[in-house]
Amino acid sequence: MRYLMMTNPTDTAPDESLYAEMGAWLEELTAAGVLLATGGLEPGGIRVTSAGDEITVTDGPFAEAKEAVAGFALVEVRSKEEAIEIARRFRKLVGDGESVIQQVFGP
Amino acid sequence: MTDVHGAVDAVWKLESARIVAALTRLVHDVGLAEELAQDALVAALEQWPEAGVPGNPGAWLMTTARRRAVDRIRRDRLLERKHEQIARDVREDAAEDGRDDVLRLMFVSCHPVLPTDARVALTLRLLGGLTAAEIARAFLVDETTIARRIAGAKRTLAEERVPFGLPAGEELAERLSSVLGVVYLIFNEGYAATAGDDLMRPGLCLEALRLGRLLAELVPHQAEVHGLVALMELQASRATARTGPSGEPVQLHEQNRGRWDQLLIRRGFTAMLRAREAGGPPGPYVLQAAIAVCHAQARTAEDTDWARIAALYEALERLLPTPVVRLNRAVAVGMAHGPGAGLDLADALTTDPALGDYHLLPGVRGDLLARLGRCEEARREFRRAAALTGNAAERAFLHRRADAITAPAAPVPTLGRAARDFLGRDGLDPGTARSYGQTLRRLCRSLGDDLPLAALTADEVARVFTAAWGGAAAQTWNRHRSAVRSFGAWASLEDLGVRLDRRTDIRTPAPVIRDAELETLWNRPGPSLRERALWCLLHESAAGVGTVLSLNVEDLDLPARRARTGDMWVVWGDRTAVLLPPLLAGRTRGPVFLSDRRPGPARAPSEADLCPETGRRRLSYERAEYLFKQATKTVDPTGTGYTLRRLRVRGRGSD
Repeated sequence: MRYLMMTNPTDTAPDESLYAEMGAWLEELTAAGVLLATGGLEPGGIRVTSAGDEITVTDGPFAEAKEAVAGFALVEVRSKEEAIEIARRFRKLVGDGESVIQQVFGP
Repeated sequence: MTDVHGAVDAVWKLESARIVAALTRLVHDVGLAEELAQDALVAALEQWPEAGVPGNPGAWLMTTARRRAVDRIRRDRLLERKHEQIARDVREDAAEDGRDDVLRLMFVSCHPVLPTDARVALTLRLLGGLTAAEIARAFLVDETTIARRIAGAKRTLAEERVPFGLPAGEELAERLSSVLGVVYLIFNEGYAATAGDDLMRPGLCLEALRLGRLLAELVPHQAEVHGLVALMELQASRATARTGPSGEPVQLHEQNRGRWDQLLIRRGFTAMLRAREAGGPPGPYVLQAAIAVCHAQARTAEDTDWARIAALYEALERLLPTPVVRLNRAVAVGMAHGPGAGLDLADALTTDPALGDYHLLPGVRGDLLARLGRCEEARREFRRAAALTGNAAERAFLHRRADAITAPAAPVPTLGRAARDFLGRDGLDPGTARSYGQTLRRLCRSLGDDLPLAALTADEVARVFTAAWGGAAAQTWNRHRSAVRSFGAWASLEDLGVRLDRRTDIRTPAPVIRDAELETLWNRPGPSLRERALWCLLHESAAGVGTVLSLNVEDLDLPARRARTGDMWVVWGDRTAVLLPPLLAGRTRGPVFLSDRRPGPARAPSEADLCPETGRRRLSYERAEYLFKQATKTVDPTGTGYTLRRLRVRGRGSD
């Protein structure tokens, strides 16, 4: 089963050592065949809304930036517990903040 | 913390390979190492619910297991010198990342001294961290069987003193191929479940994919490893598309390609590139992956490059001449160069004892036969395949394929089709077409439209003729006989009339109706003016029924009591002369004898048969005959009624 882990942005900027640690960990997860895809997301982004026939395109950033997603990781695991365990390790690495994991159905 | 057990299990599955590998380095015994690791797991299950899950649960398990290993060694009262050695090993190990140990563990658990099923069970146990119960469930065997298999494997490894080392040189390739074989076996058991009701057990596929991906990082310079990973990623990409809504298998060429997992396809392509970078001549896994790449690249089933796939299979067959590879090649060749070529290859396999009970062989033959239009054989092969497979979903699918063969897949000439073509061909005189039509329609009705033309024999024809026209006049019999012979010649069949003797008319013509009977007929009330005029004209002129019915008003010379038809005259007497003027009632053109009603819109007769004044059509022979029979039923001693022909006085008039 696959889970998408989405991480909210934090106020503190990551330092060099965190980058290195994160890189090593991601490599390990990839090698273990768990991590399928990962990436960071541009802050703000572009919002596309539809109402009736109207499509509205709005450039970010948006006021409710706290709820935005800063990065994601798609993992393939045996169970929900494995997904939680991986999220736990990730949070331990990056410090204070919040991640949300959701199971991915399909394709 | 209600979920501690789940958390412990998750951590264990993620870490167990590394822990067991590190412990094996310490104690030089896989069995003992696994036991010690299990002890640490039990400790976690005891302590974590109370004390909470530690910050780094993997490290906690590793430390606990190591400590137990050292304790164990001490308890075994090993020599002091060796004891010190162990202490040093433990310190050194802590510095290593343990990756090579995991690889060593893989080589050990897939060691050739073990039987294949033991390799599979031990690998899932040691590297996947699966419990005996989980492995048993995946392979649909009972738990004690798996437990015994694992215990036996550990014992064998200890007895054979299999070293915990990395093979090198020639041995590496050989041992690696054993590891790859085990991984692919696990994948295949998950992908094409050989037993049970489900077509797939995705858990096993995931285990195999993980082991393969792990292996690709551990031995990155081996093309075959990347080939296997590519093969598994690409096959797994089709996992959801290969079963239908009710769990039935969907064949590759019928799959909805939109449901293929593009992420896995891309990973497969990437693995394939890494295989190419690693270099060397392509091995069996790289070749199989290349075939999978061909399928993944085709946007639609029709776009599939079957010629390339057939060529890849040919190369694969040289390296791996297994019956299954040869069978797959037959499929590819069947697609690339036609079902006949494929069937030739598949037929060559039917004598292979290894495939005697392999359901895919009759399945493939059935498909090729169906495409060749050999329906009966195809149906038989699908039924046979269904009987051989152990998988319920696949069995149901094969039965459906067998049932689906009612209409031939390829057009086989049938009697009905040939008869239509024969009658509809250009240049056939309409009269002849009508006459031949009667013969062929009878054949079609008796033998079925779907009868393959090749199955139409002179015997069958003779049977139909005897039943239909055995009692008919010689002329009728001969007419049908010449029709069927003409049809046979046209269709290049044997002489269909060979069992039909030409008949000579030995029967005496039906006697003319006696005058006394005619008198009652004339004087009886009832029959309409038209009927009486027709009967009188037939009797007095002795002309043919068809001739009389074809007369038009313009042809009549009423004062001379005659009518011109062709180059002959139809001549009549007193009675007719009285009846004709009131019948014509002033009409100057069109058929003399008209039907009672106007033709319906769907039955437009030719203009020559329509009366331009009343819009009614010419009276038909059948209708006139019917009416006369009805009228003469009471007079005819046999009770069936007379035919119009019997009104004619022989030896007089034309026709």
